[in-house]
Amino acid sequence: MNDAALTEVFMNESKEIISNLESDIVTLEENRKDQEIINRIFRYFHTLKGSSGIVGFKTVYEFTHHLESLFDKVRSGDFDVDSDIIDILLESIDWIKSELFTDVDSDESAGKRHELTLRINRYTGKDAADSAKSENFMSEVGAYKGIGSGERFFRINAAFRDNIFFSGIDPLMIIEDLSTLGDVVHNNIQLKRIPDFFVLDPEQCYLTWEIIIRTACDEMKIRDVFLFVIDDNEIDIENVTDRYTDARQKSWGTEKKLGEILIEKGIINDNDLDELINLQGDKHFRLGDIIIQQGLASPRQVDEALQEQEKIKRKIEISTVRVESARLDNLINLLGEIVIGQASLHRLAEGMDEEESFVLNNALYGLDRVTREFQEQIMSIRMVPIGPTFEQFKRFVRDTARATNREIKLKIEGGDTELDKTVIERIGDPLKHMIRNSIDHGIEPADTRAAKGKPAYGTITLKAYHQEGSVYIDVIDDGSGIDAEKVRKKAVALGLLAADAEVSRDRVLSMIFQPGFSTADQVGDLSGRGVGMDVVKTNIEDLRGSVEIKTREGEGTLIRVKLPLTLAIIEGMLVSLGETILIVPLLSVIETIQVKQQDYRTVEGRGEVILVRGEYISLIRLDRLFGIEANCKEPWEGLIVIVESEGERLGIMIDDLIGQQQIVIKSIDTFITSSRSISGATILGDGKVALIIDIHGLVQEIKKY
Amino acid sequence: MDDKLKREQEQENEDLRQYVTFLVGGEIYGVSVMKVQSINEMSEITQVPRARSFIKGVINLRGAVIPVIDMRKKFGLPEKEYDSFTVILIVEARERLIGMIVDSVSDVVSIPASNIQTNINYSGKLEKSSMEGVGRIDESLIILLDVESFLSNENVQEA
Repeated sequence: MNDAALTEVFMNESKEIISNLESDIVTLEENRKDQEIINRIFRYFHTLKGSSGIVGFKTVYEFTHHLESLFDKVRSGDFDVDSDIIDILLESIDWIKSELFTDVDSDESAGKRHELTLRINRYTGKDAADSAKSENFMSEVGAYKGIGSGERFFRINAAFRDNIFFSGIDPLMIIEDLSTLGDVVHNNIQLKRIPDFFVLDPEQCYLTWEIIIRTACDEMKIRDVFLFVIDDNEIDIENVTDRYTDARQKSWGTEKKLGEILIEKGIINDNDLDELINLQGDKHFRLGDIIIQQGLASPRQVDEALQEQEKIKRKIEISTVRVESARLDNLINLLGEIVIGQASLHRLAEGMDEEESFVLNNALYGLDRVTREFQEQIMSIRMVPIGPTFEQFKRFVRDTARATNREIKLKIEGGDTELDKTVIERIGDPLKHMIRNSIDHGIEPADTRAAKGKPAYGTITLKAYHQEGSVYIDVIDDGSGIDAEKVRKKAVALGLLAADAEVSRDRVLSMIFQPGFSTADQVGDLSGRGVGMDVVKTNIEDLRGSVEIKTREGEGTLIRVKLPLTLAIIEGMLVSLGETILIVPLLSVIETIQVKQQDYRTVEGRGEVILVRGEYISLIRLDRLFGIEANCKEPWEGLIVIVESEGERLGIMIDDLIGQQQIVIKSIDTFITSSRSISGATILGDGKVALIIDIHGLVQEIKKY
Repeated sequence: MDDKLKREQEQENEDLRQYVTFLVGGEIYGVSVMKVQSINEMSEITQVPRARSFIKGVINLRGAVIPVIDMRKKFGLPEKEYDSFTVILIVEARERLIGMIVDSVSDVVSIPASNIQTNINYSGKLEKSSMEGVGRIDESLIILLDVESFLSNENVQEA
């Protein structure tokens, strides 16, 4: 791994850690005694310190060292978490963030760092000059002196990850720490994993330790030494006191595991094992060999047991893999190719006579099933829970609430709901904006709330859930709601609505998504500048989602965001206009109908409409709009696809319906067309390119003309 | 004999640039071979509504959807029925692939750098910045296009 790659890994990791830290610290503020969170924060700081040291962010390294010491004191109960500490922590994180991710003015940054260090040291009782000293923190953590009663023996098998050094941990330090707890009575270093010299990577850890330690400490103390490594390394700590006091063992190598496995399998029993150990004695025979020698098990059984041993060891190592998301995108592209190939096979089958096509169709049916599953699997890799995105708003809500003198609780529901990674990455900003709006315009100050008989603190709920193949995210506040009358007046004032227009309440409310709209009487620091909800809406629509708003005056507001599960493949309806084939996303389609001539008319101000079950629906002529040649010139000659966008229904005139299939979306360069009516293209089974209609964009475009 | 060898060596020593040459409306144009990804025969073009005037549409290039430009339209020449010589030259510019519909592809030529004139006063339909220069081979002149700037955003939007 070169330096740049290492730094990138570090940056990504840090982002994750910082976002976790922020959410944990805000939680800590509410539950100040939660030992689990305290430990977790301590560990985050430690990791951050270690990795920033490796990639050479010296200031961050030194600074996090202070934070770590501070938290070590909190951990051991030297003092309680107070709001000052929380402030220090949050400000410190802001500093780390700006130091790592932005170009900072070094003087200003150093000043802030110094100030924070001083504040931290007030707790830890160190002076600032101490800061450059990078001490071995392990000795701090691990410097327990034996206080417990009696002597204990622990057998520790420590097999570290190959890449342990990259996480800033030196196994040797841990072993040295261990030795401060007692006497190492046995130390067996396994050299087995060391590869041939020519392939040896000096940056990898190949050694495995087996240590037996005699100590007065209890197991917890021993485990503490391994605090930072126990989760992702194979650390096996076993109290073997009874064996040692029995004095029946001399050396207890990794072969013991083999013995254990054989006992578990019922191949040998406890007595056999004892006998074997005796036989093994001081001689450096391997247990497996002795077992075979003694005829207790066949070589195959021993081999199998050894393999099992190896498997257990490996299990932890391969449980997760980090992959660049570009590689996943490649996989999805390739899958797209397969889907297209399949479609062309289907076309071939259609052209054959029945008997021949029967066999092919059967084979294709099987293939279809597999590719569908394949697609689901690949998509599921890209799916990540929305929880972390929600969590990161805790900090934001806390800060914003403070700034506006409000008390607000953020409630999170359905954090494990999974969405496409791209969607997650791009939903953060719109959500933030909606939350900001809720705080600024929704939640009332505590006294107002009390007067209304509401709890003094306001609640904002973020809720995610799946429904009918889409993901919904609700942002709910129990604030004052939106005054529809006020919105209406504002809309009229802005010229968005005619003063005497008769429109539904929903339609009025949707006005807040218009550019330049804000009902806030005073322009706050946070929102009310009239930019916002329209941007939110555009962002969500770019993700092929939609947003709606529901509000009850005095009770609260709900903003519901609907998002597609994935961005890469959609179900599409193929329609034809003359020679042209177009694709209408099935999600927007309500129905396809034929109209009678008497149901067609032109209405002043609305253009052409058709009457469908008593409702007038505007007609769209794609041939005129797109400049293509259609066979059917009149609405009653062909078919009408009824689509819906933002609660509005529209009828699109088409010649014919071709079918319905999975559509792999290929993006087309924005410089090709300025039309918003096209969201992308796809490749059909015959290799032709067909354009995908963006219903929403189409509606927008029609309104323009 | 000596002379010929000498000349060859000289040419070898000199900076030779290779161009794919093609015809549009009787004129020879050249594009650096480094920019040309492939030369494809005409395939079915899907028209895109409200596309910029010189963009003919999009094609399927081995699974990717890429735009194609009609060079005749781009140069303001009258359109001509596509025939068996018409090809799509796939070039790479600004990290994307673009197809150029040309009347025919003629050759790949090597032009010594000294035979390329870059400071030309040219008042044709082509933006001067779109030209790398004019190359000379024997008696014929080749207009060398700079695909990067030729297909850059400004030029695309201008048109």
